[in-house]
Amino acid sequence: MTTAVKAEKRQHMDIKKFLANNGALVGLLVLCLALFIATPDFLTAGNMLNIGIQASTIAVLAFGMTFVIVAAGIDLSVGSVAALSAMVSASMFTTAGLNGWVALLGGLLTGAAAGAASGMATAYGRLPSFIATLAMLSVARGLTLVISDGRPVRTADQVSFLGGNLGPIPMPIVVLVVAGLVASFLLNRTVIGRYMYAVGGNTEAARLSGIPVQKVLVIVFALSGLFAGLAGMLLSGRLDSAQPQAAVGYELDAIAAVVIGGASLAGGVGRISGTLVGALVLVVIRNGLNLLNVSSFWQQVVIGLVIALAVGIDVLRRKNTIH
Amino acid sequence: MKFTSFKRSTAVLALGLTVALGATGCNRGEEGASGEKVTLAVSTLNNPFFVDLRDGATEAAEAAGMTLEVVDAQNDSATQTNQLATAATSGVQGVIINPVDSDSAAAAVSPLLENDIPVIAVDRAVNGAEIASLVSSDNVAGGKQAADELAKAMGEKGKVIVLQGVAGTSASRDRGAGFEEGIKAYPDIEVVAKQTANFDRAQALDVATNLLQANPDVTGIFAENDEMALGAIQALGDKAGTEVSVVGFDGTEDALAAIQAGTMTATIAQQPSELGKRSVELMAQLLAGETVESNVPVPVTTVNEENVEEFIK
Amino acid sequence: MNGQPILTLDKISKSFGPVQVIDEVTVSVHPGKVQVLLGENGAGKSTLIKMMAGVYQPDGGRILLDGKPVKFRDTNASEAAGIATIHQELNLVPTMSVAENIMMGRFPKRFGMVDRAALRKQARAALDLIGLDIDPDQPVGELGIARQQLVEIAKALSLDARMLILDEPTAALTRREIAALFSVVHDLRERGVGMVFISHHLDEIAEVGDSVSVLRDGKFVAEVPADTPEPELVRLMVGRDISQQFPRRREYTGPSEPLLHVEGLSIKGLVNNMSFTVHAGEVVGLAGLVGAGRTEVVRAVAGVDPYDSGSVTIRGRRIPRHNIGAGIKAGLGHVPEDRKVQGLVLDASVNENIGYATLASTAKAGLVDFKGQREKAQDVAGKLRIRMSGLDQTVRSLSGGNQQKAVFGRWIAAGAKVLLLDEPTRGVDVGAKVEIYELINSVTAAGGAVLMVSSELPEVLGMSDRILVMSGGHLSGELAAEDATQDKVMTLAVRDVVRDLEDKS
Repeated sequence: MTTAVKAEKRQHMDIKKFLANNGALVGLLVLCLALFIATPDFLTAGNMLNIGIQASTIAVLAFGMTFVIVAAGIDLSVGSVAALSAMVSASMFTTAGLNGWVALLGGLLTGAAAGAASGMATAYGRLPSFIATLAMLSVARGLTLVISDGRPVRTADQVSFLGGNLGPIPMPIVVLVVAGLVASFLLNRTVIGRYMYAVGGNTEAARLSGIPVQKVLVIVFALSGLFAGLAGMLLSGRLDSAQPQAAVGYELDAIAAVVIGGASLAGGVGRISGTLVGALVLVVIRNGLNLLNVSSFWQQVVIGLVIALAVGIDVLRRKNTIH
Repeated sequence: MKFTSFKRSTAVLALGLTVALGATGCNRGEEGASGEKVTLAVSTLNNPFFVDLRDGATEAAEAAGMTLEVVDAQNDSATQTNQLATAATSGVQGVIINPVDSDSAAAAVSPLLENDIPVIAVDRAVNGAEIASLVSSDNVAGGKQAADELAKAMGEKGKVIVLQGVAGTSASRDRGAGFEEGIKAYPDIEVVAKQTANFDRAQALDVATNLLQANPDVTGIFAENDEMALGAIQALGDKAGTEVSVVGFDGTEDALAAIQAGTMTATIAQQPSELGKRSVELMAQLLAGETVESNVPVPVTTVNEENVEEFIK
Repeated sequence: MNGQPILTLDKISKSFGPVQVIDEVTVSVHPGKVQVLLGENGAGKSTLIKMMAGVYQPDGGRILLDGKPVKFRDTNASEAAGIATIHQELNLVPTMSVAENIMMGRFPKRFGMVDRAALRKQARAALDLIGLDIDPDQPVGELGIARQQLVEIAKALSLDARMLILDEPTAALTRREIAALFSVVHDLRERGVGMVFISHHLDEIAEVGDSVSVLRDGKFVAEVPADTPEPELVRLMVGRDISQQFPRRREYTGPSEPLLHVEGLSIKGLVNNMSFTVHAGEVVGLAGLVGAGRTEVVRAVAGVDPYDSGSVTIRGRRIPRHNIGAGIKAGLGHVPEDRKVQGLVLDASVNENIGYATLASTAKAGLVDFKGQREKAQDVAGKLRIRMSGLDQTVRSLSGGNQQKAVFGRWIAAGAKVLLLDEPTRGVDVGAKVEIYELINSVTAAGGAVLMVSSELPEVLGMSDRILVMSGGHLSGELAAEDATQDKVMTLAVRDVVRDLEDKS
């Protein structure tokens, strides 16, 4: 082989590798290009901000979900926990008359506590995370209804601020970026983050290496709950009210975002950047189909196909790397 | 040892969760005084409207000395079918049903009718079954009223977007049909987009934002319920009530507050507690051996800034 | 060779990307003969059998079936030609019955329903082919590995296989089970079935094989008769003389402090009152039959499993029960029995795998010391001569020996003073074995202590300074290296300790 051919081949391999590792990003860009051609309303500054705002809730939920999926678990309760956190926070403010900051903190802690409970049931109670969080899904939703008696409750101003604007900048986007950076930092830079990958990759090997697997699991689910609590603050902040039926089914969007972003449900693999792209894919599809005035029934069909496609590409990619 | 007991308590907790999970389906109402026992099967209690409906029914039942047992289907037709099958064998004298889905409710009430237990539907019809009576708001008329109110606020011209409810529900169908019919009377008004936001406030916020992006010159929004109208108002921000008129449907507390604040133009108020109350009163009549009308409409009223004070409790 | 071969790979080649894995190799399989494939891990044996089975297609050369060129496009094509592979990882559904597994995919049907009687009858016939007397209705999962393997062979024969590929069939079997397997192999040879046999145990080759094809780095080296002496086979395989198979050296001159002391360790039904000490600079072998409780002792000492009574002391510190972290802190390192399941995160890099035990202790404020960890991993990987393309290569793609070195590396990086090695050279080729032995030497030379469980008696005899023998959960005896022989160890290993005690009293 001549050097020129070799170089060309290497370049070819590099592009291929990039495409394989960033399939979701490429998909997102193609999607944006298609929408840009289809409607002049898509690529405007205003609409880009909309997309950022609309992605914030799902993305924050999905960041939390990334921890869980990397550690080879699943958290079905994030939607309910978000609603519960929002409702606890709003009730602390409106019903109990507490300070708004306290209410905000109370909401976040509620999420973390609910997550930690699921984590303990998984780590020490040896329940599969699917079951533990399925139980939490029901418990958290039920508690939300109990607290609210089925009625919306007004949120604290501090929570509403998170859903509003800081000058020209929408706060949900600020929260999204900060949460993404924190999640990425936790996952990549800290010991606990690296432990998550080890536990997800091979729980037994991690345990035998002296990694405190049970503690790691509790922290993983508590973090997922904390991020769900933050998502609950965002959601209720945008509406100025905590809704008892808020975020129903959001866990599936969050899981879809993580999986589209390239994580493996088998654990050990996943990146926050990928998850962000996955969340954006979902939101851009919804936004675009709204702009084109397409029936939302078709939106569900399209989103389903995108998930299947993204995971299909992922499976294909894995097959290729093991030759 | 500490460790083991911790494990055990987690297991107990988990067991408790599972039991709680199984128990949420059968939310028992309070036991009333002696007298007839009647089941109220509501579609969901996740929505303030149905909570009000239940409260109205419970009050009326207390007044009538009736024991009212409330079951919540959590918007699941299958759950409701099971609940009614249970009611058929549990010795209740009558059932008031608020169907999750009008079409599948016929099968659900058939075990009741076979046992000669009288059935009254409330808010939504039971399609294809011989039930004693239907107590409902006049949604079609309400849709027309909404069209008139929105047209008035828009000066009888301009572009409108419609936020639809859960497709297939009779409320969405009737309100939509009534609105469409009503808006035809105004040739200068154009409906530029219709999208569903599933009766949900958060979804309406996103959908309305997106639709406004594509149609920035819209001056009117009709939402098939108040939750979606409030989501749309959130999307409009400062434009709500000034540049863009928003009309909702239901007359919930939050909506009335928004009308007072001037962000919402009008809502078509249903009277959920009245629906609940009327259905219980009808049931009492039935059980006393009286005959009742097969269709009992509960009026809807247009609420705007002129009369909002009267509706605030 | 006499007669027409069933299958011939004629000057066959295969590459993956730029890597040439097989380079013009020729191998023939004759009816009624056992063709042994010999080579170190990575020599290309598994690629070769995968081409026979139709998993891979060759880039060059021909495949001849009964003398005629064929192409196996997939595994179905090779199965149709009567070629069956018995993999190390068995292809059975544990929850289904023996009969169902044998007849999988071709259940006899009557009126659209499974005809249970015919199913059982046909399965019985298949089992009779190899003289296996088990209940066809028993779930396969309840059988031991050896019997499962025989079920798989019966299944292949019932599919009219006339050539079997046996990929390391003895790796997970006990002595007695191996003997049973070999008698089946002899029977099959009588019936004219051709076989390909892969094993890392050189002593098995003369026992079961007819002819040996030796591979090295994807190239054909030689074909020799199966009774070729072992040192010669090793020379062909490795390409150089291995002067000493077990290069145990005792270079530690410091004080012989007790580093690991186990007192009265008992696990109900598994281990009974085990007491022993391992000193600095010492390798203690733990021998015994499979099921004697050796692995249970090691796991209990490492804190992996709880024990019922007794105590474990490491470097003078009493270690709390069932606490892996405390052992590691005291200087313990545990190389578990099954590196793929218990030792490694296969899809993580060499760097990460070496660093797991030190991630937390080197961290500052919860943040990983990436630079320090990487430098240490590079240093350890170099010392252990882990052959890899770089620290970021995934462990999955390393050979067995190098994977094992990565597990060792984790404890070298952690500065472990007491190493518990459970079958440290299982599934590792000859060359890498010697490297692992040298590693053990360097650990003891630096004043470390090693407790080694091994089912390979020559390894236990060759590498240990003292040998503890277990039988039925009891410590049945202790031998000094100088006095130990295979016979003495075996005598202790089969001794019924409980009955002996009763006899005395």
